[in-house]
Amino acid sequence: MEIRIEGVSKHYQSEGKTIKALDEVTLTIPARQIFTLLGPSGCGKTTLLRCIVGLEMPDTGEIRIGGELVWSKDKGISVPPEKRGLGMVFQTYAIWPHMTVFDNVAYPLQVRGAPKAVIRQKVADTLRFVQLEGFEQRPATKLSGGQQQRVALARALVAEPKVILFDEPLSNLDAKLREETRKELRHFLGKLQITAVYVTHDRVEALALSDSIAVMRAGRIVEVGTPQKIYFDADHRFVADFIGRANLVKARVVAHEGGHTIVDSGLGRLACQQRDFAPGSEATLCLRPEFIRLVAGAAPAAHNLVNGRIDSLTFVGESYETQIRVGDEELLAKVDPDAKLVVGDSVSFTLDPAHCLLVAV
Amino acid sequence: MATGMQNPRTRLTWLLIAIVGALTVSPVLMLVLGSFSEGLTAFGQFTTDKYVQAYTDPQFFEVMANTTLFVLCSSTLSTVLAVFLAYLNTRTDIPFKFLFKVISIIPMMIPHLLFSVSWALLLNPSNGLINVALMQTFALENAPFNIYSIWGMILVEGLLDLPIAYLIIAPAMASFDVALEESSRVCGASSWRTLLRVTLPVLRPAILAAFILGVVRSLASFAVPSVLGMPGRVQVLATHLYEMIATGFATDYGKAAAVGMSVLVASVTLIVVYRALTAESERFVTIAGRGFRPSVVELGRARMPLFGVVGVLSFVLIVLPVAVLLYTSFVPYSMVPSARAFSMMSLKHWHEVLGDPISLLALKNSLFLAVVGATLGVLLSVFVAYVIVKVKTRAAGVLESLSYLSFSFPGIVIGVGFMWFFVQTPLYATIWALLLGYIATYLPYGIRPMSSAFIQIHSHLEESSLVCGASPMTTMRRIIVPLLIPGIVSGWILMASMFVRELTLSVVLSRPGTEVLAVQILRFSEDGLWGRLSALGIVMIAISTTLVIAATVVGNRFRTT
Repeated sequence: MEIRIEGVSKHYQSEGKTIKALDEVTLTIPARQIFTLLGPSGCGKTTLLRCIVGLEMPDTGEIRIGGELVWSKDKGISVPPEKRGLGMVFQTYAIWPHMTVFDNVAYPLQVRGAPKAVIRQKVADTLRFVQLEGFEQRPATKLSGGQQQRVALARALVAEPKVILFDEPLSNLDAKLREETRKELRHFLGKLQITAVYVTHDRVEALALSDSIAVMRAGRIVEVGTPQKIYFDADHRFVADFIGRANLVKARVVAHEGGHTIVDSGLGRLACQQRDFAPGSEATLCLRPEFIRLVAGAAPAAHNLVNGRIDSLTFVGESYETQIRVGDEELLAKVDPDAKLVVGDSVSFTLDPAHCLLVAV
Repeated sequence: MATGMQNPRTRLTWLLIAIVGALTVSPVLMLVLGSFSEGLTAFGQFTTDKYVQAYTDPQFFEVMANTTLFVLCSSTLSTVLAVFLAYLNTRTDIPFKFLFKVISIIPMMIPHLLFSVSWALLLNPSNGLINVALMQTFALENAPFNIYSIWGMILVEGLLDLPIAYLIIAPAMASFDVALEESSRVCGASSWRTLLRVTLPVLRPAILAAFILGVVRSLASFAVPSVLGMPGRVQVLATHLYEMIATGFATDYGKAAAVGMSVLVASVTLIVVYRALTAESERFVTIAGRGFRPSVVELGRARMPLFGVVGVLSFVLIVLPVAVLLYTSFVPYSMVPSARAFSMMSLKHWHEVLGDPISLLALKNSLFLAVVGATLGVLLSVFVAYVIVKVKTRAAGVLESLSYLSFSFPGIVIGVGFMWFFVQTPLYATIWALLLGYIATYLPYGIRPMSSAFIQIHSHLEESSLVCGASPMTTMRRIIVPLLIPGIVSGWILMASMFVRELTLSVVLSRPGTEVLAVQILRFSEDGLWGRLSALGIVMIAISTTLVIAATVVGNRFRTT
């Protein structure tokens, strides 16, 4: 079910100052997709989620869920959260400690007045779906973090909501469990074909889970796109920098030719992804460390060939992280862990123009 | 939701500020006004005479000197003992650690008044059991001990304040980051030096907080000075006040208010310091690590002797008072335990007490105050705690400060304030005056368990119920109330057990017809009717103990689920 957000703003008063949590946000979340709101803490992503679910009231704007207007400042419409028919997984899971697993999951059906037999059947089905069969009578507090997370998911799913919302649901799990749970979640949501809105500040989580990502900063949506688009072809420097590790190099646009934009930079003259910058204008060249490819031996004269010197090498297991000095620039690159290199070696590397991303300064 | 609920919430906040303000500020205000008035019957005529009289009274300086000595020494005693016990329990391999838990809970069961009386029965100079026994054994002419002295008072008050000091220091010591000590050891310091240079300084806020609370409590203490101080004519501020209003023909509530003002100001100031210190000690000491256990110091050969000290303390704090009272309630007059004494035992005092209409009335009144007072007190506490925890506005902050104000009230002083207040109303000399006074004075004890219950209810628990489709009413019924019940039960029982044995406020507000248990026991003590006193005291301990045990059982049951 599609969610349309139009011109939504939200202000907070804190210690006499006004904080803009949301600043004229307009966004369409397409149906049956996993849509992630990604951004640093304090960017307004959780506030936006809470506005969608109805736990916060925006100061302006309209919110529609599947065509139904659930919030409109101007028309005075405010559907309370319990009437919106959504499911939500909270950061703390919000598992009620005085209830069993069964009661927690059955709750949304009970408050809707479903017949007992139906409740039993649906709870059993949902628990099987999240792989918690046989846990019905367990007190909810006697579960591990990962199991609580799945109870929270089961509770959010059991009443077959139009939309399911996640507020940083993995942030309370330890690193290993987080990775497993992320894969599970992807698997569950993939099967369900449901509209999911997911809030996180973890870029890996966002890239791995989402069909679309909206990157937010300071109460605004900066950019929306698929994970690949956001990672490889971001339009904004903030997005390119936030979504992954990047070397940012100052560049000046020289010309456009052969489907590439040619720039001069501290690395020399380079052909980059074509972008709409006027010749002579300033831009930022964004290079991901994993696309800096070392060339073995004497390099043939090729496009985008750069020579540098190894300043430092750090072994991190799956690779070496190395700082390569090129003129005044210092670049972070990843090198195969079996490379025979020492600090001070001269190296050459090529840069595929497709991975030379130009963004505004 | 926020805007929708703002108005009722704001209204609730202001309503509670009005109620709690009326309960806690009005006695203070009346105390101030009263101290500038001619007398209860001439209220409102401004005069500073009472201050002049109160503070130029030659007796006043003796009282001040006694009070200072009493307060400082008893607080030092309780703090030193508490540090000693807390260290033994949390950091050493001393055996039978359950005893420490017992030591920290006992004062809830044995009212201060009865604890003091039991010491009087043991060590009074004319027929104290220990004194008589020693005199008989060693053929002494005079009693070796006199509990009716400032040192006797200090000993008993110090023991009474020990558990509360322990409850402040022990958790701080338990959460102490042992790495601080280990690094001192690695640097070459001995364990004794580490204790002095690292452990105790880091715990300083907690230790100071315990000391200051001891000062506040002994300053407000009335049981010990009245039972042990008055027979030996050792006056402290609390008994000095009491003499002005309760004994002799010329009661002077104006002068009492004038003296009370300085006690109140001192007490409030100390509580402000105390709260700052506890906040600091939480910040200072709390460690973030999980599953952490401080290393255990092996006591070696000192283990059993030190345990002996703890054993004696537990015996003195727990077994002795109850045993003495029980014994005294059965023997016809004070006599050292012997075959003859046991052969003369009877239920005479029990029959007298249970046939005494005033004692029965006191019992009935105390039970009424406990049940009705605790119910109303908890009801008010639920709303106040809700606003303090869940409504984080500036008004809610005002309410929080107001509701913890009475924590610092010395009972007898605030009783004088209430007296000035109730005299102006038809509530004077009714049981309702006591009821209101109790609730106002003990409100913090109801609010605290309720606040922790509310803090436990993370707002997500409420919100997820709404998102699941439950209405606010259903959310209240199925999520919030069930989670609050343990807090409500323990708050109720805590308040009820305090009301059953309430003394300091009651001695001021109680009038013929509104006697309560503790006041009746004090009367018996003043008249030297030890047998009846003991019988009634045992009844009081029984009620109080039942309530505390019930609270512990209920608390444990809810904690495990």
